[in-house]
Amino acid sequence: MAELRRKLWLYRRLLGAHVRATLEYEADFWIMSLSAVLVQGIGVVFLWAIFRSIPRINGWQFWDVVLIYALVVVAEGLSVLFAQGAWTMAVTVNLGQLDALLVRPYPPVLQVLGSQVGMNGLGNLVLGGALLFAATSHVDVVWNAGRLALTVLLVISAAGVKVGLNLLTNCAAFWLRSPYSMFAFSMHSLGELARFPITIYGLVVRIAITAVLPYAFMSYFPAAAVLSAGTARWLGLLTPAVAVYCLWLGVAVFRHGLSRYESSGN
Amino acid sequence: MTSATVPAAAPLPADTRMRRLRAYRRMARTALRSLMAYQTSFLFGMLASAFAALSMLYLWRSVLSSGSRHGFDWPQMKAYLLVAFVAGSLVSSYTDYRMANRIRQGDVALDLVRPVDYQWGRFAESLGFVVYEAGTAVAVALVAALIFGGVPLPDPHTWGLFVVSALLVFPLRFGIVYVSGLLVFWTQNYVGVQAARIALITLFSGALVPLVFLPEWMRVASAYLPFAGMASTPALLYSGGLHGSAATTAVAVQGVWSVVLWWLARAMWAGACRKLTVHGG
Repeated sequence: MAELRRKLWLYRRLLGAHVRATLEYEADFWIMSLSAVLVQGIGVVFLWAIFRSIPRINGWQFWDVVLIYALVVVAEGLSVLFAQGAWTMAVTVNLGQLDALLVRPYPPVLQVLGSQVGMNGLGNLVLGGALLFAATSHVDVVWNAGRLALTVLLVISAAGVKVGLNLLTNCAAFWLRSPYSMFAFSMHSLGELARFPITIYGLVVRIAITAVLPYAFMSYFPAAAVLSAGTARWLGLLTPAVAVYCLWLGVAVFRHGLSRYESSGN
Repeated sequence: MTSATVPAAAPLPADTRMRRLRAYRRMARTALRSLMAYQTSFLFGMLASAFAALSMLYLWRSVLSSGSRHGFDWPQMKAYLLVAFVAGSLVSSYTDYRMANRIRQGDVALDLVRPVDYQWGRFAESLGFVVYEAGTAVAVALVAALIFGGVPLPDPHTWGLFVVSALLVFPLRFGIVYVSGLLVFWTQNYVGVQAARIALITLFSGALVPLVFLPEWMRVASAYLPFAGMASTPALLYSGGLHGSAATTAVAVQGVWSVVLWWLARAMWAGACRKLTVHGG
């Protein structure tokens, strides 16, 4: 227990150091935050434009879809703020910078995850939070303490799913010897499909984002659990378990990659 | 580069214009080759945008399953989205990515002393990239068209205009990308500027949602701004959504903006050079 507390404390110190470094570049911070709000805001304008011409898509109304969308934005914001380091792996592993991490008395996977703080995270979190609030107050659901607690748990789990999958896909750095994280980026882009109700997709796509890389658990299924709609609700309640699974898988693959890591250079 | 093809011994042509043209041609070819050398990365990038296109196709299929909206039925929408996808894949990131890195690291100082024009040089490089970008994007679009049950052929009445419009997408997109690349001289930040640019362009160029679905003021604004010409105009001409004088006007707007952006970029470059500070030596 004391061991775990020390790890968490160190992780917070690690992130804190990066936050201070990041805030030294104030203009950067503002540009990144504002661009994040702009990017996600435009996504909402897009949804709104579609729903201007049609009241519901596959039975989902505007605010239901905003809820799904908001969950993606919040999960993205949390993962960018607390575990953006996964995206540095392509460089760290393939330019031989991992060696330095291996000799420190702290788990390499945590060092990697904590090696960067995404400046766009705060913008995502602010906009995502606002959308989440707006959506939850518009959707056709009766709010009580239980449902509220469930929503909070699901939001955190959704972020866990995203962090786990980010780590997993970025582990490709151990196999693809390239200093660019384009593989992980393309999978991230696959995950963006979960911004819409997944019932619109064909079977192959649905299986891919539910069972293979369960991105749908960062948005669609938790939203279904909150909205109590259909069979998807029961899957949605599994989101915390899926989050644990994704994180475990990410760490396991990282360890496996580490065992075949041979450094680079001389 | 270990290119042994540089004909060092051959006498340079006396005419500097010819000499420059040769330099630009070589820059374009080198750009294409460097893209081919990092093909895996490029193809994963293409896969990412293919996923985005896929989600749009599925989304619109559901929206239009209950009948056409704003004059778009499903086959037309498929054609529209795929043409917009190909247009959106051109000059997608390499040009400004390279520029931004060189500006931030100060390597741009070397570009200043080269005996070729900076803007024409980047234009030539983008032309090299675009060959590969267009080729792969068209291949992806064809596969997507097959998966989604075929796409109608272009509208025969506006076929000629479509070709002109499709060709104008290149200088137009180059203008926007180049200008946003130059912004790095002032912001020193590239990732944020690029994300904002991409988001603005995808919405206002009609790449995700045809502009008729937007409110009137947004639609009019994007029609007269350079955005519509980057996806909407060629996509509408292909899918038969633009006719007569409206079609000619839209293509003319593309042409005018291509020229305006070129000169705007020139002015910005002049300002940027006065502002440039490179550390170290």
